[in-house]
Amino acid sequence: MILFDFELERPGTPADAVALLERLHGDARVLAGGTDLVPNMRAELIKPGVLVSLGAIAPEAPATLPDGALRIDAFSRLAELERSELVRARAPMLAESARAVGGNQVREMGTLGGNLCQESRCLYFNQRHDYQFAAPCYKLGGDRCYPFPTNKRDTCWSVYMSDVAPALIALGAEIEILSAKGIRRISAEDLFTGNGLRPLALDAAELVRAVIVPAPAPRTGWAFHKSTVRGGLEFGMAVIAVRLELAGDGKTCAGARIAIGAVRERPVRPAAAERALADAAPDDARLADAAAAAAKEVNPLPHHGFTKRYLMDNIRVHLRRLLVRAVERAGGPQA
Amino acid sequence: MLDVTKSGLGTGTRAQSRLVSLQVNGEWHEVAVKPRVTLVEAIRDAIGLTGTKASCESGTCGACTVLVDGRPVLACITLAIECDGKEVRTVEGLADGEKLSALQEAFLDQGAIQCGFCTPGMLMSATALLERSPRPTREEINKALEGNLCRCTGYNAIVDAVLQASDQGVKPVMK
Repeated sequence: MILFDFELERPGTPADAVALLERLHGDARVLAGGTDLVPNMRAELIKPGVLVSLGAIAPEAPATLPDGALRIDAFSRLAELERSELVRARAPMLAESARAVGGNQVREMGTLGGNLCQESRCLYFNQRHDYQFAAPCYKLGGDRCYPFPTNKRDTCWSVYMSDVAPALIALGAEIEILSAKGIRRISAEDLFTGNGLRPLALDAAELVRAVIVPAPAPRTGWAFHKSTVRGGLEFGMAVIAVRLELAGDGKTCAGARIAIGAVRERPVRPAAAERALADAAPDDARLADAAAAAAKEVNPLPHHGFTKRYLMDNIRVHLRRLLVRAVERAGGPQA
Repeated sequence: MLDVTKSGLGTGTRAQSRLVSLQVNGEWHEVAVKPRVTLVEAIRDAIGLTGTKASCESGTCGACTVLVDGRPVLACITLAIECDGKEVRTVEGLADGEKLSALQEAFLDQGAIQCGFCTPGMLMSATALLERSPRPTREEINKALEGNLCRCTGYNAIVDAVLQASDQGVKPVMK
């Protein structure tokens, strides 16, 4: 039950949707699958006057662009990505990350764009119904931070938990953003501000319209892992995505992209670890060193009961395994 | 920072109700709802089909699962207005009169029901699975039911029931 009244508009085209958002001057929120927005409205974390629903706009099917890149409509349901033959063939890591999201119903309802635009989470912030008589935290306009009492007003260490975002960053994907002014394209990394108070670099009148995944170079391998407690219907404790490219000789790593999500205010790329892998032989010792360096570099925030030390161990071990797997895939006969 | 100074439409303004047509279990219903009314509220309170359970009401337990155009959705975080003109199937639509569906019989045969509160959601998620994949593996069943929590059975009996209903050699234990 949602305890406040709001209006709902159902524009018929994406252009109408952004025109409407522009006219409503930030009083509106976009409703896609609703799996994040509606529970947040129910907990009264977000109280928009108007919802602009995308429910009347049918998503376009994923398509290959002339340069071999894959263009995916951001209004596509996660379950459709998981089942799409084209996505599974051209961007298997994206299909696997979509499959890792929430539960079966959440994937049938939730969209790709909605998953990227989810609100960041914190044990106190998102459990507000349990703490409803407590004073609001900074993110809710209050004057305190419960999990990190020494934090100042401009610092919020809520974590951004999308499973899809690390995969898109590792894949080097770009995001098409639609507004009344037209379309702008940014890299997936630039969608995030790194500030827990406002995790997304999106204007209130902007809409994530599509995701473009570039065609991989030959000898490219990937690996993805979401650490969870139960193994289903939950947010990750650490989500890791790796894409690794071998040079023509098949023995040197030409470059690696690593993205680690659910441990900071934004998905993080451990730059030093990536540099250590570039132009080096990807033997087990080097991969283990890179994973250990990445765990330190990411400096995970303790969240939802997981300590920093545990999360560092988790990243170190899983990233090492993922790097080994990615090298195997890059050099394997099918790559 | 989130904008919490605004509270919906603000005092003095009320959202208008709108007429929404839902084809629930084959029968069309017209319901007047405000935008804030969820699908589970429309099904239970306006249409009067109380088989669908509202449990956590925040999208975390799956008890309210219904099929909208054949896809399992969480009715507690779906707005009724978003389902205008759509086909909704609830647990009441599974049986043909007095005759239970093969899946419902299998749930009884396996003792896959204890308190029963999760059962309507489990049945709808499993029905969607079997329509898409008539002979699912145990892993596929686990994945397709991951959004439904059960605090009584420990899940094994439920998975067995889906295997029995899909005719994969699991024998009834409660006959």
